[in-house]
Amino acid sequence: MTLARGSEKSYASPTMTLSRREFLAGVSAIGAVWLTGAVSCRENTASDADSHAAEPLATDGAPKLVHFSAEDAADVEAITARIFPTDETPGAREAGVVFFIDRSFTTFAADQADFFADGLRNLNATVATLHPGISRFANLSDEQQDSVLRSIETTEFFDAIRFATIAGMFALPKYGGNKDYIGWKLVDQQSVMEYEPPFGWYDHPDNQRTLLGRVL
Amino acid sequence: MSVQTQPTGRTFRTTDQVDFVVIGSGPAGASVARELTRKGFDVLVLEQGRAYAPEEMEHDELGAFITERWTNSSQTQPQTFRTSEQETAQRRQFVGYAKAVGGTSFHFTGNYWRFRPIDFNEYSVRGGVPGASLADWPITYDELEPYYSAVEWAIGVSGEVSTAPGEPRHSRPYPLPPLNVTGPGVLLARGCEKVGWSHKAAPMAILSREYNGRQRCHNCGFCLGFPCEWGAKSGANHTMIPEALRSGRCEVRSGCTVFRIETNDAGRATGVLYFDADKREVRQSAKAVVLSANGAESPRLLLLSENAQHPNGLANSSGMVGKHFMFNGAALTRGEFEHEVNGHRGPVVSRITHQTYELDESLGFIGGGGYDFRFDVPAMLMALSLPASEPQWGSAFKQRLRSWYNQSLLCYAHTTSLPVESNSVSLDPALKDAWGLPALRTTFREHEHDLAMYKWFQARGRELLDAAGALRMHDDPINTDPGFAVHLLGTCRMGNDPATSVVDKYHRTHDVRNLFIVDGSSFVTSGRGQPTLTIQALAFRAADHIAQFARANQI
Repeated sequence: MTLARGSEKSYASPTMTLSRREFLAGVSAIGAVWLTGAVSCRENTASDADSHAAEPLATDGAPKLVHFSAEDAADVEAITARIFPTDETPGAREAGVVFFIDRSFTTFAADQADFFADGLRNLNATVATLHPGISRFANLSDEQQDSVLRSIETTEFFDAIRFATIAGMFALPKYGGNKDYIGWKLVDQQSVMEYEPPFGWYDHPDNQRTLLGRVL
Repeated sequence: MSVQTQPTGRTFRTTDQVDFVVIGSGPAGASVARELTRKGFDVLVLEQGRAYAPEEMEHDELGAFITERWTNSSQTQPQTFRTSEQETAQRRQFVGYAKAVGGTSFHFTGNYWRFRPIDFNEYSVRGGVPGASLADWPITYDELEPYYSAVEWAIGVSGEVSTAPGEPRHSRPYPLPPLNVTGPGVLLARGCEKVGWSHKAAPMAILSREYNGRQRCHNCGFCLGFPCEWGAKSGANHTMIPEALRSGRCEVRSGCTVFRIETNDAGRATGVLYFDADKREVRQSAKAVVLSANGAESPRLLLLSENAQHPNGLANSSGMVGKHFMFNGAALTRGEFEHEVNGHRGPVVSRITHQTYELDESLGFIGGGGYDFRFDVPAMLMALSLPASEPQWGSAFKQRLRSWYNQSLLCYAHTTSLPVESNSVSLDPALKDAWGLPALRTTFREHEHDLAMYKWFQARGRELLDAAGALRMHDDPINTDPGFAVHLLGTCRMGNDPATSVVDKYHRTHDVRNLFIVDGSSFVTSGRGQPTLTIQALAFRAADHIAQFARANQI
């Protein structure tokens, strides 16, 4: 008994047996965290990821596309920028998340490229229906984009691109996104790998004395 | 500062009849190898994964949790799952473990709880449970105690022996003082003191001070699911393996997928067959075999090793190989606090409570557990796991992530799970892995007493969070399906009766005199949540007895 590869989409439903909501609720149990990956990956993922990482960004320092057309990339970038908008802080656009997603389809998510392309095509069909005369998501205003995304929020494609956007926002920069650790800075996850206490408010000795009457 | 690199060790020929071939380099196999080499034996360790250099040990969340960079592979090692023996299992990755030299200790969190006497004799003390095969261990806490201390001192465990009622006897203190207390640790202490519970420094297999030439913890926060680039986590790859290699009597041969333990007409194990990294079939001769492949892969290998003399699989005359699969239960609630907790810095766990280790029978279930407060995953998984009640995209999502990341923590109850015979590891009749071998199939359904216990623990966890000052709480639902399993226990249970157990009290299989099984599969009960120290203490004890048998020509 073997399932067709097409039914295993990490960017789509993260698990085959749990609903997305159940998955999200359960992901913090150590267990479920691997489940995302468990249905996603081709053989040799680690070495793929390494070679993926080793690809030069481009001689002039600007990243280049390896999978998407410029038009598709513009749409994907626009979607990621609605998931992590640029507001008081940088978002997915500044983090270069589109380049992470682009590369993923030549590496660890290669088997999902067709699924993703279909989703993008369907999205633009929706755009054309809702907004006659406009054929690409990227050409809509921010408000129109949000409205279109809300209309597809429960689809596998939206789950997939949201998953991919979050992955690209927080994966190590070597994978193509999270440029200059923009994603990490968003939540104050540091790229320095050493800390000395106190780590936060509660373990500060003064606050320990207030809370516990002593310092542990 | 430089980090130690692995010593090289010996190289045996496949035609050499080595004293012991050990299958698996995790905490069990590596400890057996270290102990047997110290006692003068030659040991070849076969490991399906590979060794990683410190510069490869990145804080790579994508690799660690999504693309299976150092865990078992869904593509080459697909699995199936079902909830009862009547169903056809469907493809699903249910069992997870690190696939690397050091086994799962390569990426563990390092919670190093001891068992207590009750974990070994709960059946006698409390009686049975319908639908479960609760049984006593053939050994006691007191028999294992010296080995707990030996492991704690050999690898470097940080902690503080508690004097609270019910704490087990320690013949030696911990070798290292506790790690830095973290925000979640202080809040656990606060909650416990408000509700009148005891709490203590968590015993952790992470160095709080330099020890045996290894560096102390740098408080980076990337423990759970990540290797330690500093070598401060006391996983087997930083402790037992280099020590075994330095003995000059050990080889760790990586990239070897063992698929058969061979036996001869006399019923003795003669060696193993494995696929090397290039999928070439290789035979390794050995005087004795120690199987330490983990609670899922050890029984699978026994079942794969069936032959005319052992038609139901090797060492399986009892029919118990693969049965009684246990994982440790859990109950989780997230709490949000007023100030910055920053639980993602420092050790994942710094304080625990064992107030709930043993519970009153009137609750209607048998078992118990303990709690820690922690921030368990880095930013990516945190962002993927916001509850459905929270924004999932857009500016509100961005803002929410920041407070969620810095001001929330997880109240994590770790518990027993009952041994149920039909919960099992077996060979899938249809699905094959990348080597053409039958895939691992899990059959599992939570026992109703365990589900009731998880709910009880979740309710008490909410009280603890509330007492600690949580502003908001979010329960993880408790399901009949545990989702995924990482503590792999009970599948070759230990016992005195060959009709109902797979190995004897010395880890020798009842059926094959020179075959030993040492890992989580030996467990008769699950313990209260953190099995690795007990796996390692059992390995030290087993090696003592195996060496005595070998010297007395009794293998």
